[in-house]
Amino acid sequence: MSQVPAFPLVGPFAERLLIDDLPRLLPERRREVATFVAHRVDTLPSFTRFGVLAIGSVFRLLLSVPGGWGVAKIIMRLPLPFVAEYPRLMRSLSFAYVWEHWPTTTPDGSETGGVAA
Amino acid sequence: MSAQQATANMDAEILIIGSGAGGATTATVLAEAGMDVLMVEEGKWVEQGAVVPFSLDQMEQQYRAGGVTVALGMPSIAYTEGRCAGGGTEVNSGLYWRPPGELLERWQREFAIRDFDPHELLSIADEVETAINVRNVPGPHSAPSEILRSGAASLGWQHGEVPRWMTYPHGDDATKGERQSMTRTYLPRAMAAGARLAVGCRVDHLEVRNGTAAAAVTTLADGSPGRITFKHVFVCGGAIQSPALLQRSGIHGHIGRTLAVHPTVKLAARFADAVNVPDDVPVHQVKEFAPHLSFGGSASNPGLIALSLLDQWATFRRAVTDWERMSVYYAAITSEGRGRVTSVPHMKDPIVTYRLTHRDRELLRSGLARLTLLMLEAEAEEVFPSFKGAPSVRNRRDVATMQQAFRASKATVMTVHLCSTVPMGEVTETCGADSFGRVHGQRNIYVNDASLLPTAPGVNPQASVMAFAIRNARRFVATGGTRV
Repeated sequence: MSQVPAFPLVGPFAERLLIDDLPRLLPERRREVATFVAHRVDTLPSFTRFGVLAIGSVFRLLLSVPGGWGVAKIIMRLPLPFVAEYPRLMRSLSFAYVWEHWPTTTPDGSETGGVAA
Repeated sequence: MSAQQATANMDAEILIIGSGAGGATTATVLAEAGMDVLMVEEGKWVEQGAVVPFSLDQMEQQYRAGGVTVALGMPSIAYTEGRCAGGGTEVNSGLYWRPPGELLERWQREFAIRDFDPHELLSIADEVETAINVRNVPGPHSAPSEILRSGAASLGWQHGEVPRWMTYPHGDDATKGERQSMTRTYLPRAMAAGARLAVGCRVDHLEVRNGTAAAAVTTLADGSPGRITFKHVFVCGGAIQSPALLQRSGIHGHIGRTLAVHPTVKLAARFADAVNVPDDVPVHQVKEFAPHLSFGGSASNPGLIALSLLDQWATFRRAVTDWERMSVYYAAITSEGRGRVTSVPHMKDPIVTYRLTHRDRELLRSGLARLTLLMLEAEAEEVFPSFKGAPSVRNRRDVATMQQAFRASKATVMTVHLCSTVPMGEVTETCGADSFGRVHGQRNIYVNDASLLPTAPGVNPQASVMAFAIRNARRFVATGGTRV
């Protein structure tokens, strides 16, 4: 059975988180990471994927309206069950990818000049 | 010797679903007894060395859902399952623990496991240890392992090297072993005896009528349907997939209701010198507080170091560039909580849930505090516990602050040991399968994997899984598969 691809729903949110978390990460790397995150969401177990995309749709909607990112950041700070796990999942996948592929990345996303793995 | 791609229509006397520690050993015993055995595996055959251990690439190729699987709860517990030829044995730490004798006696007593002799099981463990080459590392231990040893020794805590199923063909470097997983040991042995292994084959459900299964309905790697007919079926898909398959086949009873795991909490510790080993895990474990609480080391590549700092990124992120001087460690508990595996109609995957008890949460708290103390004794410069709101720890006074701040609901809780979803025994109120793995109420459907372990064993469960699987398969051979 065909399924809705995850990237349009979670990719922009993953990129927006990276802009905040790792502001100096190169844009092409940011895009690469977001693509990876969406791919992993596509392979999640069916129920988890359904939940992630449902929550992701809300955040995606917030991203598309003026001031929505500010609201999203407030929601992310609330201890809401499962909702709070969505940005955590995005960050987990993103950070794992960034430091596995470019281990000399600094906390702001820039490179220290080492060789990427 | 390798596997074949699954085809639309297959047939065998014995169908074995799954090729991990339970499936591979079952196949070996039955094939060597002259039976016609077909194993099917949902994942693919990945040669050792083709992927870097504990990397994202390995998770993509050898783990279910890329390693992103979770038992929902407060907190949710992340877990992993192997999904490849050899199953979890291809991706786990390779550490070997025999089932404790007193635990075997308790299982026998409380679950009424018939004709069960703990000594017989330990004798099978002897055979397994020879077959998969269980041994200590030949040379010096890795730096992360030495940290566990020195910290425990300084505190006077019981600790030791855990043997692994490894060979060391490249000298005595502890980090260059070759795991003797199922694709290196039991699977080739089973195939040499005539067993077939078909990869890229998911079993959607079994066709069951009046307690007898006659066929498995499958989906092949390209999405096309298939069907396998058989006389007997052994379900060996692990503690999540086995009960899920039984439920999808209309078999309920005591199936999937008592998931048991070893929940773990983690920390990253930074030292003065380079200690990081990206592609291996420490061989030391600390058992001073066992069986309730154990300490060990985790994979620590730079991506996993970053993950361990994630919960308190605002204050911990400065440490990520020091990853070469860091390593990740865990505190694992024997949980009193239980989880459920529930298949939902029209959904491919089951819903998995787990609930920690109050005692579990407190044990995680004290475990993390004690592990932090151990790190300081091992001369860690700074310790970074993995929970939201965690302070970093530089001295003993900080440990108390950290312990007060800990909440299990704010922590990254994980597990790699899943079991007990079809517990074995004759107590039909609590057991899903009989004393030899036959599903209660079914004539020719057996489970033979971690699902059968009555409770979480408190140690790495692979040895227990293999020993029970061999015992049960031998019984099947001895009785010809007839009800006894």
